[in-house]
Amino acid sequence: MLSKLQRKTLIPAQIAGYALTLLIGVAIVLLTFQLYKDLRPLLTQQTDVFKAHTVTVSKNVTIFKTANKEGLYFSDSELQELQEQRFVNKVAKFTSSSFSTSASINLGSGGRMSTDLFFESVPDEYIDVVSDRWQWDSNSNFLPIIIPEDYLNLYNFGFAESQSLPVISQGTIEQVSFQIHVWGNGKRRDFESRIVGFSNKINSILVPESFLQWANEEFGKSEKQRNSRLLVEFSDASDEQIPPYFEERGLSINQNELESSKMVFFFKMAMLFIFAVAVIIILLSMAFIIMSLNLIIQKNRDLFVNLYNIGYSTKQIARFYQLVVSVITIADLLLASIVANCIRGAYIKRLSSLFETVGNGSAIWLTATVVCLLLLAVYNILIQRTIQRTV
Amino acid sequence: MSESEVSGSDIYLQPRVLFERGKKYMVCAKSGHGKTSLLNFIYGSNRQFDGTIDYHEPVSDPFLLRRDKLSYLFQDLCLFADLTAMENVQLKNRITGYKSDAEIAKLLDTLLPSEKKQQPVRTLSLGQRQRVAAVRAICQPFEFLMLDEPFSHIDNDNAKAVAQVIADEVERQGAGLIVTALDRIDLFQFDRILNL
Repeated sequence: MLSKLQRKTLIPAQIAGYALTLLIGVAIVLLTFQLYKDLRPLLTQQTDVFKAHTVTVSKNVTIFKTANKEGLYFSDSELQELQEQRFVNKVAKFTSSSFSTSASINLGSGGRMSTDLFFESVPDEYIDVVSDRWQWDSNSNFLPIIIPEDYLNLYNFGFAESQSLPVISQGTIEQVSFQIHVWGNGKRRDFESRIVGFSNKINSILVPESFLQWANEEFGKSEKQRNSRLLVEFSDASDEQIPPYFEERGLSINQNELESSKMVFFFKMAMLFIFAVAVIIILLSMAFIIMSLNLIIQKNRDLFVNLYNIGYSTKQIARFYQLVVSVITIADLLLASIVANCIRGAYIKRLSSLFETVGNGSAIWLTATVVCLLLLAVYNILIQRTIQRTV
Repeated sequence: MSESEVSGSDIYLQPRVLFERGKKYMVCAKSGHGKTSLLNFIYGSNRQFDGTIDYHEPVSDPFLLRRDKLSYLFQDLCLFADLTAMENVQLKNRITGYKSDAEIAKLLDTLLPSEKKQQPVRTLSLGQRQRVAAVRAICQPFEFLMLDEPFSHIDNDNAKAVAQVIADEVERQGAGLIVTALDRIDLFQFDRILNL
């Protein structure tokens, strides 16, 4: 009888409007949330699709710094600050040679070709070349060298092409031996040397760190080592804070290695935008049903007052409306979850044909349950309160 | 109300007025002198008064008071026009399940033409509605029953029947009765008559 009385107070069009808007809003929220969750592993470093762990960082060379090089070096506080960034895992310094070096090669005809050189070194763990010859100790007379792969490419595809010279393979170069001459502090020493590998990560002429430490002591000027280049290993290279951080501090960074972080940034932004719109839709649908209920309660004030007067508690009066709204909300969320799961099934099918690791579990049901409980709590409390205030 | 309006009242401005369970009271006054207000004060639906009303035990929620201590036949009846006479009574009875449907039907049949109980209240005359409201008022446990001008639209014969049904229920529950009226009525054996 109570429900017979109260059923007449409902406004079907408003309830249908609520059901529809809530359905749309929740479906989009669930879907964007799930899509984000599904694609996240692809965007972060856990897979090799957008891999970018380590980058080389240096200060931008500007016209003011060409004469006074002080501005090119990293101070201890700058290093410290960089180390403390959330997205930075480790910072390694480039060690550079502070002595004179040249390389020479004996040509068959008794002639000699010679060139001045410089060396740098980085900790071994950052070197992307695997070679059993990459070692040096103070007794060793053999000095392994790693050069950037770009140097070879520059020769093969640029110089050799334009001068009609033969191209050289990495294997060929690794067979060529030459001499390295090191001097300074009135001392001099010669080494046999070969190129043992090509790095496509570190853009410098590298020798083992142990050699450079020894040689800097032996031949180098005694001044303190200064660092103008750093190797930075990111904990999450897709972190969108990385590009602005380096930009603000005038640091140059191998940009294309960070393309993924830009992509992730735009992707996250797009997701966030859609998510926000969907949340607004949900909030509007909530406002809609709450206003509709308020209207119903105001319009039927006499009915509620009468019911209260003959001994019904506000809880009993509110129960019907709480039930109606709860049932609609639950049905809506159920439907939205099913829709979201269907669409997810479709895109997972497409994505898994492109990538190996996609979709580590659906969060749709859990999210829907949480949203549902939140909505029900809000509605039930509001309805009870409004009726209490009315009677 | 101004002070002159309530001067000489047996209730208003009195240091203490006691209504005892098991006794019948009549509150007599002209219209506009606060009969309905007094009952509303007691019922807890109007708090616009100075002074205190004490029940024999503290009341935390008027809902509990209304459910099983206090029943009230409203002057404006407060019936639901779209429900039938039977449903109106059942709606109230359902809260406590005090009477069975058969008992309700029997009570309605005593006071109304039997075909009326299945008709929407909207179609009943004012007098008939008043009788429906009277039946509804006794379909709950109570310690006090308050009737606000219960016979204003009922002829004498019917009033007697209604009064009989109510008196029986009050007797059965050992409850107190407070009746308001414009003029004295002698349908109940009143223990005390108060002028407002």
